[in-house]
Amino acid sequence: MSSPESSSNRKSTFAKAGRALSEASGLLRAPYRIPSLLSRLVSDELHATFQNRHLYSYASTNVPTEIALHSLLNWILQAQKADGGIAAYYSLLTGYSASYPEVTGYLIPTLYDVAENLKGTTSEAAARECAERATRWLLSLQMPSGAFPAGLHPHKGEAQPSVFNTGQILQGLVRAHAETKSVKILRSAQAAGDWLAAIQQPDGSWSGEAAYQAAPHTYYSMVSWSLAQLAAVSQISEHAVAADRNIDWVLANIKPSGWFDGINLHGHPTYLHFVAYVIQGTLECGILRQREDAVEAAAKAAWILLRKFETNKRLSGTYEPDFRAGQSFACLTGNAQMSCVWLRLFEVTGDLRYLNAALKMNEMLKQTLPRKGSKGVIGGLAGSSPIWGAYQPLRFISWGCKFLADALLLEHRLTHEFAQQFEPDLASAPSPKPEASECA
Amino acid sequence: MRIVVLCSSPYSETGCAVAARLVQLGHTPTGALTLPSWDRPTLLRKIGQWGAKDSFHYATAKLSPGKSSPSQRIRNPYLESALRDKNVSFRALYEISRLAKFPVATCVDHNSPRAIARLKQWSPDVLIFTGGNILKQQVLNVPRLGVLNSHLALLPEIRGMSSPEWSLLCNVPLGITVHFMDSGIDTGPILLRREFLSDKNCDSFTDLRNRMIAEGVELIAEAVTALDRGTLSPVPQTAREKDSQYFVMHDRLKAIATGRFQRAQSIAAGAPTTPSGGHRA
Repeated sequence: MSSPESSSNRKSTFAKAGRALSEASGLLRAPYRIPSLLSRLVSDELHATFQNRHLYSYASTNVPTEIALHSLLNWILQAQKADGGIAAYYSLLTGYSASYPEVTGYLIPTLYDVAENLKGTTSEAAARECAERATRWLLSLQMPSGAFPAGLHPHKGEAQPSVFNTGQILQGLVRAHAETKSVKILRSAQAAGDWLAAIQQPDGSWSGEAAYQAAPHTYYSMVSWSLAQLAAVSQISEHAVAADRNIDWVLANIKPSGWFDGINLHGHPTYLHFVAYVIQGTLECGILRQREDAVEAAAKAAWILLRKFETNKRLSGTYEPDFRAGQSFACLTGNAQMSCVWLRLFEVTGDLRYLNAALKMNEMLKQTLPRKGSKGVIGGLAGSSPIWGAYQPLRFISWGCKFLADALLLEHRLTHEFAQQFEPDLASAPSPKPEASECA
Repeated sequence: MRIVVLCSSPYSETGCAVAARLVQLGHTPTGALTLPSWDRPTLLRKIGQWGAKDSFHYATAKLSPGKSSPSQRIRNPYLESALRDKNVSFRALYEISRLAKFPVATCVDHNSPRAIARLKQWSPDVLIFTGGNILKQQVLNVPRLGVLNSHLALLPEIRGMSSPEWSLLCNVPLGITVHFMDSGIDTGPILLRREFLSDKNCDSFTDLRNRMIAEGVELIAEAVTALDRGTLSPVPQTAREKDSQYFVMHDRLKAIATGRFQRAQSIAAGAPTTPSGGHRA
């Protein structure tokens, strides 16, 4: 007789196989995608074979940051649907997905930042328009409770409220309000914040039906970050209290090793993406709420991953508790998130080792952006490297583009500030050479 | 005192300089254990470790010294006094070993069982690490006193890679530390720690590095002499609140470190400088 656990594992395996078959059948419907699929498979295989770096070296590219930013922006613009929503991904098998409210929401701050960075170009206007259309679309999706729905849009069956998606969309609404001063957007953001505060558990976590798999998750620290951003604008103490309470709960889940327990994802491994979420949310909320305990906890975890990256020249795609390395593919989104975390820690602490690691990480990520290919491929960030890795296999994902754009924007701002304040050389420093020289 | 020198290649200039300097001072090594310069397993290991492109660069660099003229053979001019004996300049470990009569053994990995067996055969008091694999505990356990390493920065302030560059960026005085190795990265007990004061005379960053390497060779020799006389005892590194490990520096930061160094040189020489650190035309 099989245990309930093994029966659930079997179901999960069948479900995965079903999804894989359904995706693969996409090629039958659109055989023109076969060449780009094959070309990507071959190029990743070659890359995996020849790009093992030695102890003294790191990946490098001659793609300037501005070009990479333009290509990421173009990918995002092309992924925006007529209604204003942005697709979750482009699959090499099935093409673009439906619009994804969560990612559309937290792409808004990125789009405004890119617009600011590309001021005076046609791309500035395009990025702003994309953000405005995305905001209008999101406002139309808000539920009477103030929550935003889970999953892709349109969803199958009745819309279900989602804590995480509401939190992520809240980031976009707060930024859209800052840009437009629209009272309507502020009211919508406040309603979302009120709903999040109202359904928070007494211990500070979010669980129940509106939480993924109905379980509490430490990576919902991203929601606290959004609430802290809202509190700074709304001046409503309940929003700030809710953010603090959640961070207290997240910090209570830290193990002596620095690992954040309670990511609580059943049925799939702990991808670096989620580990980075916990760290990023804790760090950003800690900065906004002036919580040294949160910043220190995030810095400890970020330092452990930095050491792993510097020593092994890569981060694992998945991690087991206590930062034990899991699967060996690269979760590119998680890498971009860690770059953002390291850059923010450089900004907060002035420790140049964080900047050093982020510069290398950004080079590695820029190197993966396809310079040729069809719409949906060119300029986008894949879920995994190699592309058949376990995280979002054979897909280019919109939130990956978002985090890489964030990392490049941060790199640009911080290196510029650093150059202006301390070292005039940095701004005009030569492009990295293909190899680093031997070091003691 | 029984000394064994560990080298990354029989042609490693630093390895050769350490062995030759010890011979000059009367501390002829008991043996030297080196990774091979070039063979099939090494080639495959390098391709596995470095990738095809870097391995190709390595191969071309290895092939070029044989073509160079004798005067160009010593790439680091500050090692010349150690590497020259009358009119002969040593380019390979074998040349020194023939003259001083000590054996040179080759291994594919310093941590391999064969390498460890050979080291045990020599029963050294001290191993001197001049390059090669990251040593595992089994190797560290072999010598009676320990494994010596010369680190191009002051310990415990700057541990790890790109240490002169990080010293410059972090405003830590340049220096060299000779220490016993342990399982951590540059965390072992310190024997000698000296600030590097000749930096004002350097005309480039490469020149600085070359001088520091040569100074490191001298410091190793000094440590061996003092250990032999029993006048030197290791001092454990104090636990530091903040981890002081540094990693390979990105070229953009390296450009700043170099620029900062060049500006300091120009200021010391009293010459006006351009913002990028060079002398005005």
